[in-house]
Order: sequence, then C-alpha cells, then structure tokens
Amino acid sequence: MKPPSPSERAAHHIAFLLAKHGGELARHIRRLVRDDDVAQDILQDTMIRAHGALSRLAAGSNERAWLYRIATNASLNHLRAKAREREALRRHAAERDAAVEPPADGRRERDDARRAALWAEVGRLPQRQRLALTLRIVDELDYEEIARRVGGSAAGARANVYQATKKLRLGVGAL
Amino acid sequence: MTTEPAAVERRAVERVVVGAFGALTGRRSAPLHFAMMDDTPVGVLGLAAGARGLRRLSYVKDEDGFVERLLAEYGDVPVLRSTGLDNVRRALDRYFSGRRLDFDLAVDLSDLPPFNRHVLEATARIPPGEVATYSDVASRAGSPRAQRAAGNALHDNPVAIVVPCHRVLRADGSLGGYGGGVPIKEWLLAHEGARPAAL
Repeated sequence: MKPPSPSERAAHHIAFLLAKHGGELARHIRRLVRDDDVAQDILQDTMIRAHGALSRLAAGSNERAWLYRIATNASLNHLRAKAREREALRRHAAERDAAVEPPADGRRERDDARRAALWAEVGRLPQRQRLALTLRIVDELDYEEIARRVGGSAAGARANVYQATKKLRLGVGAL
Repeated sequence: MTTEPAAVERRAVERVVVGAFGALTGRRSAPLHFAMMDDTPVGVLGLAAGARGLRRLSYVKDEDGFVERLLAEYGDVPVLRSTGLDNVRRALDRYFSGRRLDFDLAVDLSDLPPFNRHVLEATARIPPGEVATYSDVASRAGSPRAQRAAGNALHDNPVAIVVPCHRVLRADGSLGGYGGGVPIKEWLLAHEGARPAAL
C-alpha cells in the first residue's frame, strides 16, 4: 500500500475533525447565522482554517474549544459583513427614496437608523466584549458556556457582556 | 429565537456537515452516524449506522480510535457523531440486562463480499442460548467445506453481538477465537445461558 499524499492526509484530518465536532459546530454556527447555506460555508471555512493552523496549536490544548472559537469568529465576521451590506443598502434606498418622494412620517426610517447604528456600535466593541455579547444575546448561552467557548472565566464573560451593553446604551442613546 | 423540533434541527445540521464535507473533499455521499456506549458489561462499544441500518458494532478502546477506524474503512463517506441511534442503544441495553436476548434491528451488510454476507446471515439465525459450529454455518451459507473461510468471515464480522458470531464454536466444543477476546465470548454465551459443552 502506498503512503497517503499530503492532500490525502489533510482530507483525512478534516474528515476526523468533522466526525468528532462537525455536528455541534454546525449547530452552533446555524444558531449564529440563521441560514443553512451560509452555515455550510462557514463550517467549511472553519475546517480549512483549523487545518491550516493545526500545526500551531499547542500540544494538549483543547481542540474542541479552539474549533468553537474559530467557528464563532467566522460567524461574527459574516454577521458584521452582512450588517455593513444592509447599512449600505439602506443608505442607498434612503437616498433613492428622498430623490423620488418626501418621507411619510419618518418613523420607519428612524427605526432603521437606530438598528443600523446599534449594529455599527456592536462592530466597534472590543473583540472579547463583542463575542461575549453575541453569544449571550444571539445564542442565549449562560456565562459558564460563554467562558468555555471564548476562554477566560464565567465572571470575566459576565463583565464583558456588562461592559458591552453599557457601551451600546451610551452609544445608541446618544443618537 | 425560533425553536425547532429536534428532528428538523438534526436533519438540517446533518445537511450542513455533509455539505461542508462534500465541498472540502469533493465527495458527496450519505453520512455514517456513529455513537459510543461507554460502560457495557463487555467494555466500550462503538456503533455506526447508515440509512439502511447498523453497519458496525465494535469493541473499541475509545472514540478517537473508533473514528479513525471508520475513516480508514469507509474513507469516502462523512462520519458524524449521532445523537440518534437510540433504537440500537435501547436494544443493547435490553440485551445486557437480559430482558430480551434477540435483536430486531436493521443490519446493513451490503458492502461485504457475498460469501461473508451469507455466513453472517446464517449466523444471525442462531437463536440466543444455542450454538453452532464453523462447519454448520459454512453449510448453511451454501459451502459445506469452506469452514476455514467461514471462520474468517466471522472474524471479520462488522456487527458484533447483533450478528452473534460468538455463538459459533469449534466442532470439538472449544470456544475458538473472538474479535473482542475469548473472555468476552465466554461472558456472552454464559449470559445467554448457552455454556459451551467443553466447560
């Protein structure tokens, strides 16, 4: 039997990681992005990144938690990009509408603007706070579980969520 | 947050993983689900099933070893940890508790050579509490003189316990070999009330 080529070994390793953790990662990503096609892309991306970075993972570190971190970051990147896209579309639509007709009562625009502003604020949060907040609000995890997935302690996760909500309140409230 | 019935979510999760596997490896095939049973009277068992039934029930050291083995043997299919396979677990629990010693489970032997399949099908018809010899099952598989080949087919039985290769003994009544180790073969036979004549 001939020894496996590097690409065969790589495929085997990816298959191994998918077998061990694919199901729970897919569940986690789906809950964050709420779209199965996107979830598939992100899981795929997660596995490619994990495979590329595997040699740099210290021996004895928690592979599962590490995969969760990669998957979470990839999902949040996607959500941020989507929020930016939505914001650009909204601006474009607002400009077009303004050119065509005067705003009716302006309430919807105000709501949209507040939502876009909230997303923008979320995007400006430091990474740890943003992660903790999203896992808490979007994924509805408890602090223990958040700590397991992003590292640090449950108390740290709670502090991050607290700081994040405080900043958002200040940021959006100031509008 | 929308709540989804568990089965719907399970299927969606499966599609996501299988899709990612296909995109990464260029291979698109139905997944193989696996699960572990960690503390049975005969040690750690690894279970694997496809859409057509149980394909593996193996004595293993741990989950990593079992996954490696599945990937080595079924390399081109996505292997998935399953929250299902409950019917198999329940049947095994009933077996180990002695409440019910036979199995009413779909078993998929379709990837085996025909002779091996015939031997295992003949073996599956030996009822609990009874035993047969290697030449018995060779005859029932249609090749009376192929008892050595029958022995090999039993040795390669992918679905231990459910296909009861432990009920096949040597003509002199001695136990012969067993994939999980002869002490386990002895335990299973005693559990079923079929102590081999030589003991």
